[in-house]
Amino acid sequence: MRKNTSYIVILTCVLLVNSTCAVAEENFIGWLLDFGRTKEVRPIDNEQYQEECKDCHFAYQPGLLPARSWEKLLNTEALRDHFGDNAEIDEDTLRIIHDYAVANAADKSYYKRSRKITVTTPEYAEPLRITKLHYIERKHDEIPDKMIKDNKDVKSLSYCDNCHTQAEKGVYDNDTVSIPNYPDWDD
Amino acid sequence: MRLKFRFNNIAAILCLAAFSASAYAGEATLNLEFPSPAYTASSFSSNLQPFMLTLNEATTTGALSTSRKAEFEPPFFTGSNLHKYLGLGTVALAIATAVAPKPPEIEDRLPTPAEVSAQDSSTHAKLGRATAAMAAATVTSGLISHWDDFYLEDGIFDPDNLHALLGAAGSLAIMYAVSKAPGEGHAGKGIFGGIAMGVAVKLTW
Repeated sequence: MRKNTSYIVILTCVLLVNSTCAVAEENFIGWLLDFGRTKEVRPIDNEQYQEECKDCHFAYQPGLLPARSWEKLLNTEALRDHFGDNAEIDEDTLRIIHDYAVANAADKSYYKRSRKITVTTPEYAEPLRITKLHYIERKHDEIPDKMIKDNKDVKSLSYCDNCHTQAEKGVYDNDTVSIPNYPDWDD
Repeated sequence: MRLKFRFNNIAAILCLAAFSASAYAGEATLNLEFPSPAYTASSFSSNLQPFMLTLNEATTTGALSTSRKAEFEPPFFTGSNLHKYLGLGTVALAIATAVAPKPPEIEDRLPTPAEVSAQDSSTHAKLGRATAAMAAATVTSGLISHWDDFYLEDGIFDPDNLHALLGAAGSLAIMYAVSKAPGEGHAGKGIFGGIAMGVAVKLTW
């Protein structure tokens, strides 16, 4: 019986250490005791970030890109040419948005989808487009063009919220997908 | 008696596995209704959108998107949901098995048929078998509904890979513990299985 108990203790330790590695970016005890769902991407809880981004496009959650990508995207010079548009904002607002994005970036989050983005993005890579992330490309590679690019109500993968009905809450699972004009998209 | 219990276990596993597969059958709905006048009218009006030349395209898409999102309700009975509830059920059953009163251990002699029967029909034994069956169904439903979430290239620390590994290992440990019960040492394997399943659930919760 004692032998069994020591086996259990050793195996439990191995399991817990293993899980720690999977959530190494965050406080392990905090993660362990948090019973809230952390399966998706952390929803935006900064009003200024939400409003500034939403003025022009869907407010992408910071957990969709690693911190190094947000560093490259959110500075005065980069915002002058923000994917072809001038998106310059005042210094104070930029600092708030930058700090929020970097603090909640994929590689600093213990939300599952953010962790998957971190695991599948090479450390040397600084992806600027969410749609070019290996994880995002892989998740969408089986969806034909007619449902996205050639679909007048979707147009591009960049419009996450056109198909992911709960994208604003950070939920991107298959159960909440509804592709316009293709109600039976997963058949 | 033991054979009968084994048969019961196998039957329960098969039923639960078939039940998980039915999650997919439930998702495709067959519409046998004739198109009603209202249906025809609404499909006609939605087809009108491209002809409304003066309408701002961006506004149209946004408005459509908002109304569509408001209408959409995620289906309750999906493979993913089934897997989730089976997994939670397995952990709950494993805890119930661990705390359920156990039959007295017989160490120095062979048990009599009456004692074997009492052991087999104890709450602890019944819960243990139910846990094993539910663990098998959980793994089966996970493989069916999340088969495209596993990529070996992502390594062991990918949350889904680790979840699958711990879930499968935990499930096997629970089944092995049940097969070895009431022999000595089955408790350790069962506890390990329960913990592994619990950690697997937490990793993707």
